Amino acid sequence: MEQPSEIALETIGDVTLFDIRGDVTALSEPFLNDAYTKAIDQGVVKILFKFKKDIYINSGGIALLIQILAETKKNNQQAGITGLSDHFKKIFNMVGITKFAKIYDSVEAALGQMSGGD
Amino acid sequence: MNAKEQMVKKLNSHAVEVSLPSKLGYERIAMDCSACFAKMAGFAQDRIEDLKTAVAEACLNAIEHGNKGHPDTRVLVTMDFKDDRFSVCVKDNGKGISRIPRDKTVMRRIENLEPPKGLGTYLIKKLVDEVEFNNLTADGHIVKMVIKLTDKPLLSGKRQASGGTTI
Repeated sequence: MEQPSEIALETIGDVTLFDIRGDVTALSEPFLNDAYTKAIDQGVVKILFKFKKDIYINSGGIALLIQILAETKKNNQQAGITGLSDHFKKIFNMVGITKFAKIYDSVEAALGQMSGGD
Repeated sequence: MNAKEQMVKKLNSHAVEVSLPSKLGYERIAMDCSACFAKMAGFAQDRIEDLKTAVAEACLNAIEHGNKGHPDTRVLVTMDFKDDRFSVCVKDNGKGISRIPRDKTVMRRIENLEPPKGLGTYLIKKLVDEVEFNNLTADGHIVKMVIKLTDKPLLSGKRQASGGTTI
């Protein structure tokens, strides 16, 4: 039933894009952790989480994202989020994730604001 | 009576029940069934999305905590539409939720970037118009959720919880 997560990493300027496909649930933990570990190994300081509009994210997936955002904060990394449907933008606002990662309407808008400087 | 009114009249007299295995992932079936039913009843897409997430979270709790993923158990999801109220009952074989974390506790944990226990019940409370936790039956536990057709779109994120457990 579960569509396994698949995360492709892409570096655009000084921002690393986490292109997340498939469901984001508690079962996504190894995928997210692996991607984040790779990013850490590469010395990444800016991370943009890109979701597909029709993605399924449940509370287990949100808890995982919160764990990753805790790590980004600890490691002084900047985090952004893009690609969310209006519903999940509302959910992310509702649970307070937006205090730790800004939501952008598009990859271009995110890169425009996150690229360069600190 | 036009076609839409005829459809609503039909929906008013027929409940739908879905029986799910206690396995993660099957909550998607309940989500899509409830979405389809709510769409036929005339709900706007934003409310259907709220309902889908609430149904998914109630099913996840039933699978993981109520039935503890036991392969011999099922999660029963009953949907009904009557008098502009769309209700979804999610039943498992458990004994209910012993302690539902308060919203403030959930939010405080998130603000501290700690693993948020009770996030599922928090989302349900925020997304539906009414919710009753801990309706105990002879053979299990039911969570009942209602969204109202006449209700205004969710703006503030604040919903009312009521019933078995007062929150």
